[in-house]
Amino acid sequence: MIAVLGLAVGIVAGLFLEPTVPTWLQAYLPIAVVAALDAVFGGLRALLDGIFDDKVFVVSFVANVLVAALIVYLGDQLGVGSQLSTGVVVVLGIRIFSNAAAIRRHLFDA
Amino acid sequence: MSLLTDLMAHSLDAGYAEAHARRRPGEEQHRRGRPRLLLLVGVLAVGLLLATSAAQTRNRASAVAQERDAIAGEIAGRAAQNDRLATALERERARLNTSRRDALRLSDEGQRLTRTLTTLEAATGATAVRGPALVVQLDDARSADAPGADVDPRSGQVAYGRVTDRDLQTVVNQLWEAGAEAVAVNGQRLTALSAIRSAGDAVLVDFRPLSPPYEVVAVGDAPHVRTAFAEGFGGSYLQALRDYGISYSITTRDSVRLAASAGATLRYASAPSGTESGS
Repeated sequence: MIAVLGLAVGIVAGLFLEPTVPTWLQAYLPIAVVAALDAVFGGLRALLDGIFDDKVFVVSFVANVLVAALIVYLGDQLGVGSQLSTGVVVVLGIRIFSNAAAIRRHLFDA
Repeated sequence: MSLLTDLMAHSLDAGYAEAHARRRPGEEQHRRGRPRLLLLVGVLAVGLLLATSAAQTRNRASAVAQERDAIAGEIAGRAAQNDRLATALERERARLNTSRRDALRLSDEGQRLTRTLTTLEAATGATAVRGPALVVQLDDARSADAPGADVDPRSGQVAYGRVTDRDLQTVVNQLWEAGAEAVAVNGQRLTALSAIRSAGDAVLVDFRPLSPPYEVVAVGDAPHVRTAFAEGFGGSYLQALRDYGISYSITTRDSVRLAASAGATLRYASAPSGTESGS
């Protein structure tokens, strides 16, 4: 309940405040979004599995975003930034899909 | 392969299971209080991130659209200004011509010069001309499923039967050859120095982009030009274009006025100053 509320408040705040993202951070925004979605779906699945843990959720979210950004930053410095961000998106995308599948199994038993 | 299998099988963060196992003995008691706040902060951050990203994307899209509108507006403004200047130029030229003619009328020599000048001006496109004309109209193929339809592998755009600069060049050259005395494409008068080129998808005549349908007007002995054009290479070329879905029509008009070319300017030569001119 509190999670849904927090998410809603966060989205509304983001839409209304429209915080400006500094230019040097803009390249990492898409990666951060994918990492955040991965964390959200992971948390939702854990909740349905009955093993949800607040700390793990927050730490995994922050760590995911940071590691994804770090990989892309490293790639940018080495000249393979776009390839590495593709890799990050693919890996996190697969995780999102399989977590979504697990959630679906929980909800619909199918 | 094992990496992918691992990814699929253990999509859930292992931390959840571990934390769950650790908590078992201590029961659900400590789940009130501080960790809840942590969750709220985390979820708030997620929401903020998603919304910021969405807002960012929307802002960027609208900024791009605004920029494009501004540039398009500037182009339209400049084009209108060019047209105004061209009209003014033509008016001044006409005034110059009348005063020159008045001055030359005073002598026999002058009258002969006037006749030569008039002929030359008409031939070079320096003045407007009027006369019977042959009109060749060309238009792009109607739809994407025209016989010549082809998908550009890079842009994914369907390049259906478009009229290209080559087509217009051929038609114009064949009209000259058929005996046309003055030619204009979509109102742009052609001279010996005119260029028909293309930039991207647009056909440019004297660096002015034209849009289809293209109307090539050739002033001359219309029936004769028509026969010569249809019997020559021009006629068969248009027939070939029809295979690509390009439609064309050839008509004659009794009287057409073609404006003077706007491009008749000196590029390198300039009039010498004052005293030298007589020598």
